[in-house]
Amino acid sequence: MSALEIRDIHKRYGEVETLRGIDIALEGGEFLVLLGSSGCGKSTLLNIIAGLAEPSGGDVLIGERSILGLHPKDRDIAMVFQSYALYPNMSVARNIGFGLEMRKVPAAERERAVRDTARLLQIENLLDRKPSQLSGGQRQRVAIGRALVRDPQVFLFDEPLSNLDAKLRMEMRTELKRLHQMLKTTVVYVTHDQIEAMTLATRIAVMRDGRIEQLGTPEEIYDRPATLYVAGFVGSPPMNILDAEVVGNALRLVGSEETLPLPADFTSTAAAGRRVKVGIRPEALRLANTDTPGASVRAQVEVVELTGPELVTTAKLGEQTITACLPPRTRFGAGSQQLFSFDEAVLHLFDPESGRSLRPV
Amino acid sequence: MNRMNGPDGRKGPHPMPGTWITTRAWLLMLPLLVVMIAVIGWPLVDTVRLSFTDAKLVGTAGGFVALDNYAKLLGGASFQRALITTTWFAVVSVAAEMVLGVLAALLLNQQFRGRTALRALMILPWALPTVVNATLWRLIYNPEYGALNAALTQLGLIDSYRSWLGEPGSALTALIVADCWKNFPLVALIALAALQAVPRDITAAALVDGAGPFNRFRYVIMPYLAGPLLVALVLRTIEAFKVFDIIWVMTRGGPANSTRTLSILVYQEAFSFQRAGSGASLALIVTLLVTLLAVAYAALLRKAAGAS
Ligand SMILES: Nc1ncnc2c1ncn2[C@@H]1O[C@H](COP(=O)(O)OP(=O)(O)OP(=O)(O)O)[C@@H](O)[C@H]1O
Ligand SMILES: [Mg+2]
Repeated sequence: MSALEIRDIHKRYGEVETLRGIDIALEGGEFLVLLGSSGCGKSTLLNIIAGLAEPSGGDVLIGERSILGLHPKDRDIAMVFQSYALYPNMSVARNIGFGLEMRKVPAAERERAVRDTARLLQIENLLDRKPSQLSGGQRQRVAIGRALVRDPQVFLFDEPLSNLDAKLRMEMRTELKRLHQMLKTTVVYVTHDQIEAMTLATRIAVMRDGRIEQLGTPEEIYDRPATLYVAGFVGSPPMNILDAEVVGNALRLVGSEETLPLPADFTSTAAAGRRVKVGIRPEALRLANTDTPGASVRAQVEVVELTGPELVTTAKLGEQTITACLPPRTRFGAGSQQLFSFDEAVLHLFDPESGRSLRPV
Repeated sequence: MNRMNGPDGRKGPHPMPGTWITTRAWLLMLPLLVVMIAVIGWPLVDTVRLSFTDAKLVGTAGGFVALDNYAKLLGGASFQRALITTTWFAVVSVAAEMVLGVLAALLLNQQFRGRTALRALMILPWALPTVVNATLWRLIYNPEYGALNAALTQLGLIDSYRSWLGEPGSALTALIVADCWKNFPLVALIALAALQAVPRDITAAALVDGAGPFNRFRYVIMPYLAGPLLVALVLRTIEAFKVFDIIWVMTRGGPANSTRTLSILVYQEAFSFQRAGSGASLALIVTLLVTLLAVAYAALLRKAAGAS
């Protein structure tokens, strides 16, 4: 039985179709991240689940029961907003307890629930303050507390961490993960931050233009991207995408003398003479010398940037550019020729027209 | 006036730029100050002087009578009755305007077809000159061919035509209705602007939290409305307390002085009865009352600003 099921959801605003057929089924306790760039329809989908927007077609079920047409308050969901959306005139305690207050939960019980939630989020000392007297991170905790206290079937988060600075974002990310591991409630979480998606999700739905580009576990999304879009969206720096042609058992890079091996996985789909896009992640490349076993390419180093944990190297492969993330101790100058090695298993092949992966299913 | 010549500024701890800017500021304001003193300051001083005399509007310049005018007025029935009439008019019409204005704003804040047109239309009564509005309502209330009589008889609510403005029992209420119709759009406009400032996420959060329409209004929307509405309240009460034109056009304070507010009384005293001295003291009393109102409200506003 799925805890949350989204069936062929469509949404149009006038002429524009914002959501074009979304299908997702979640088991209880899953953490689904909707990942996609701005305007792809993530918030719209979340609002449809919450009941803040009506779909033009399709159905949403929680525990096998359609919730379409139900008032948001009757859907057994709780939502955390990007802007926190705390009631400015109420104390933290009342903000957290407001949902219970509106549901006529007796005051004593309410107070206990608020206190328990506050303890869980370590904001007990803030209960008497007004939202304006809190820092961004504290406000976010209150907003999360307001959702937690209700103990709903499904939590909805709309970019909850995007207003926080980098350090706080990491802390809250870990915190959210800890809470989810403890509470095991189903979560739908919207973000355009791929690190958040990778670290938090049990499954990621990469969205693009109102469609789901790929739905899978973080490992699947990272290791076997279904399309060029997914490949480019997840990973930082993004995956190198090179133009190549299948020549016998090899891939000849366009505008270069270099060739890459044709991975065994793709021999059935990549016919000789076919143009393909080859993807290789920067972190899959290593610096090698001539007697290193395995595949390698020679490239001319253009720029070397030390970010701290790694050395981001940009190099020319004929007319094409490739980026490699190398260990920070590696030392060589810009302009030198270097040999980059990799396992042939890390190569991804895509159809250049459709952008779909050529990996046989 | 001393400041304008700038001796104190020049001796200040930071002599150069600040002083020059201050001096220049005063110089720039000088023409306006002169005009203001001429058109406000001098008449005010003269009114104060007049209020201590028994001067007539034409003829005698009058002799000094000390506080006689004030004593007579404050002890007299006309003033007391006018004060009650004015207060009633102000309280009822402002209260009704606030309620109507907020309701209209809530309605116009909903999504529906023709909302923009309706918003524009709503401003119309407020944009009309008071005299036009007053004339309009006189027609509506007309005892022979007025629309109100026609509507009410056709609905069977009254069986014979009435003279709404001609009967002491109904004239003030009729005036209040006319004044509300003109002024609720201002409140609605202010409230609408405030409503649009309520973040959408907050109302969405309240929906998810399960707050019904009434609780949403009371706990979530009202805090955003309170400040702007207080400003509207201040503006409207002070204006309503000074009301003159709409009454003058519709009833001239009648029938049987049932709609005689303080401003009407001032006018009658000074111009109809030609008692300039007594009229001046009455005008000063009204000015004082309005000033007290303004000061009280200013304190209230400051307190509200401090609280939020
Ligand atoms: N109420 C609305 N009326 C018309 N168009 C809308 C409305 N709400 C959203 N849209 C459109 O739908 C599209 C998707 O919006 P949505 O808010 O779901 O994007 P998003 O993926 O959440 O983006 P972001 O990351 O910027 O929050 C956008 O092009 C937006 O203009
Ligand atoms: Mg969004």
